[in-house]
Amino acid sequence: MKIQIKNISKSFGNVHANKNIDLEIKSGIHALLGENGAGKSTLVKIISGQFAPDNGQILINETPIQLGSPKESISNGIGLLNQDPLDFFNLSILESFLVGINENAPYRHLKDIRKKISSLLEKYEIKIDLDTKTRSLSIGERQQVELLRLLYNGAKLIILDEPTSAFSLDQKKNMFQTLRQLSQEGIIIIFVSHKLDEVFEICDSASILKYGEIVENLVQPFDSDQIFSVMFDQFEKSSIDVEHNERLDNFSINFLDKDISPQVDISNSYDFSQGTVIGFAGLQGSSNDKFLQDFFSSDKNLSFIRINSSTSLLKNEFYYMPADRLERGLFGEMTLLEHFGLSEASKKNILNWKSVRKHVDSKIGEFNIKATPESKMHELSGGNQQRVMLSLMPQEKSILLLEQPTRGLDVNSAHNVWEMILARKNQDIAVLFSSTDIDEIWEYSDVVISVHGETIIDVSNKNILTKDSIARFVSGLV
Amino acid sequence: MLNLNNLLLQVIRLLLTFVIIFLTLIIFGVSPFDVFESILYGSLGSYSKFIRTLIVWTPLCLSALALIYTFSAGMWNIGIEGQIIMGAVGATFVARSFLGDDLISPYLQILMAMFFGGFWGLICAILKIKGKVHEIFSGLGLDFVASGIVIYLIIGPWKRAGIASTSGTDIFHKASWVPTVGDSNFPIFLIILVLFLYIFSLIIFRYTSLGIRLKATGINTFATNRFNFSSEKYIVFSFLIAGAIAGIAGFSQSSGAYHKLVPSVSGGFGFLSILIVLICSRNIYFTFIVSFLFAALIVGGSQLQIKLGLDHSLIGIIQATFVLSWLVLQKIEIEKITYKQISKMFAK
Repeated sequence: MKIQIKNISKSFGNVHANKNIDLEIKSGIHALLGENGAGKSTLVKIISGQFAPDNGQILINETPIQLGSPKESISNGIGLLNQDPLDFFNLSILESFLVGINENAPYRHLKDIRKKISSLLEKYEIKIDLDTKTRSLSIGERQQVELLRLLYNGAKLIILDEPTSAFSLDQKKNMFQTLRQLSQEGIIIIFVSHKLDEVFEICDSASILKYGEIVENLVQPFDSDQIFSVMFDQFEKSSIDVEHNERLDNFSINFLDKDISPQVDISNSYDFSQGTVIGFAGLQGSSNDKFLQDFFSSDKNLSFIRINSSTSLLKNEFYYMPADRLERGLFGEMTLLEHFGLSEASKKNILNWKSVRKHVDSKIGEFNIKATPESKMHELSGGNQQRVMLSLMPQEKSILLLEQPTRGLDVNSAHNVWEMILARKNQDIAVLFSSTDIDEIWEYSDVVISVHGETIIDVSNKNILTKDSIARFVSGLV
Repeated sequence: MLNLNNLLLQVIRLLLTFVIIFLTLIIFGVSPFDVFESILYGSLGSYSKFIRTLIVWTPLCLSALALIYTFSAGMWNIGIEGQIIMGAVGATFVARSFLGDDLISPYLQILMAMFFGGFWGLICAILKIKGKVHEIFSGLGLDFVASGIVIYLIIGPWKRAGIASTSGTDIFHKASWVPTVGDSNFPIFLIILVLFLYIFSLIIFRYTSLGIRLKATGINTFATNRFNFSSEKYIVFSFLIAGAIAGIAGFSQSSGAYHKLVPSVSGGFGFLSILIVLICSRNIYFTFIVSFLFAALIVGGSQLQIKLGLDHSLIGIIQATFVLSWLVLQKIEIEKITYKQISKMFAK
């Protein structure tokens, strides 16, 4: 197996996502690196046939394949494991398999297929019952099922688009072992990630993309400083000062009894001073995001926030940023300009587009959004969508509820995002965020609320915690 | 904003659509030029024909406008027929009341028509939000209910003196007819109404929070909370406004076209306007023009039988061919085809 990518270009509107990409991979695990918006996802979607490029060619074993057709890509042995698994929520795992496999009359060979899948599950040590519904699995488990399906279909080249962002540590370990095994069996793996430690750990070679072009091809051993300097324009590693002021708008968080873990005996109500950054730590699949949603819903039957312990909060005093940007955060078919119009619409009945446009132009600069006011949201990369959500934060003092604010972002973008958030901290009432990344919780929180499963297991000031203790809490160890 | 390239593509698409219609007519053994000539003559050939086209155009373009609101909010307002019918019922209610011979009657009719149509739309919205009933099912059901109500009224409480016939109620008092210019039958009142509603809607969609929120609701109901509004509320708004405008279309039918309540008072214009809005992809300007073309097609079509001895159903075929080929052509990226074909030709 050998894949050659020749002169691939693709643009969306005015944004050049890929410019004249040339790449050849013969074996091993190859990493595609790059900042958010560098064009990794676009390239991956072109290889897997989801997008047709504007021009260029892809050759498998020296023969060009038809581009823009997922079917053609699959029949050429290309399998894509998506960042967000694309499966059928209402089907059982076995049924999902039956839909996606290349087999005539699968229902006639149900027993054989079941046996084959079970043996695959066993081989890769995945403990899932084939008859459970897909929707009851965690994202990590769904990813693994997807990977199995690719293998089952005889994929010779597997593309993993930021696969581990949803994995637990054990799952990651298993996955890496599987990937190495597959690589030894001669399957080419393209590994898209911006977690450099993972790339160092598992990849044999790497290409770095920047502004849609490949700027560097590397092989092991990698030089991390070199990669950093090529990937990012300016890499700043200085940490951000966390200041504390005594101010007026103090607030309290009240948790329901059922939200507190029965293992521990802690208070239901906590008072905080204005400007406190509270991190909700939890493993993937825990309910740490759910608490932010509860606060935003302002439902008195759920856990809630109050300012100065008396006044109840209005909905527009919150700014809620969900983790899944296009599903619950933004309007895919609407332009950047229209989004700002929409947030203007909560203040005025008549919109003045001239002033909205001026506002958008300034925000594009301020938040470094790679888009024009006319760009539609679904045309933007994940990082840019995130920056759009941040740029939509209201000017007024608010309670920020940020669900996994840096999910899927690279180091530099994540750092930028936090700079933007913390720049507002002094004016805002509070910043509440959730994360599965303990480093992130540790770096930015003043107070850490540890969530294990569906309940809160600890609420502490950071200065009496250690990273280790947070890791223990979220794993359910008291 | 006008995009010249885009406009050119649309013009090419329109031409291709006409080519397909021409070919279809040729397959039916009819000269397309004869057909179009007689349609043109039949719809615009004389003053009275032009007036008839306007009378058909008014309900068509109003119900299309109504649908732009519900489509914007992502709702398939199949109940539009019922909303038109109920609008006509509301208008007839006023026309048959003691105010029917008063000059104020048409204005009251409009209000009542808006109220009845809006109420019929509201039922859909409430079923959608509270009962999780898909708007297509409730709309279709309510269409049947509205037809039933009209027939009941015509052969029941509102039957003509002496006979109960499905040919309709008694003709309204002249004061309840849609006002015209002087002694002529030019429906100035309806034209002003249409222009006002179109300009009003343009402003709504371009400059108001209502417009942009309706559009946002249609794209992603899960993200609206973040922008401080509830998508459910705007779904209700869209049905209320659409129902009210469709009600006016019903008023135009009962008091402008028939001067009485008849069983099929909506004339199928509601369903036809769904096609119009789909063709125009919710563009208000296009809707205004295309609904006129369709009105001309309907009125001119009646000439076919007289002049060419062709069946009136040919108009349905022309309409359907137009809609289908237009929708297919919209999905085909013409500019890319030509590019690919050219590159293929060179490759050979």
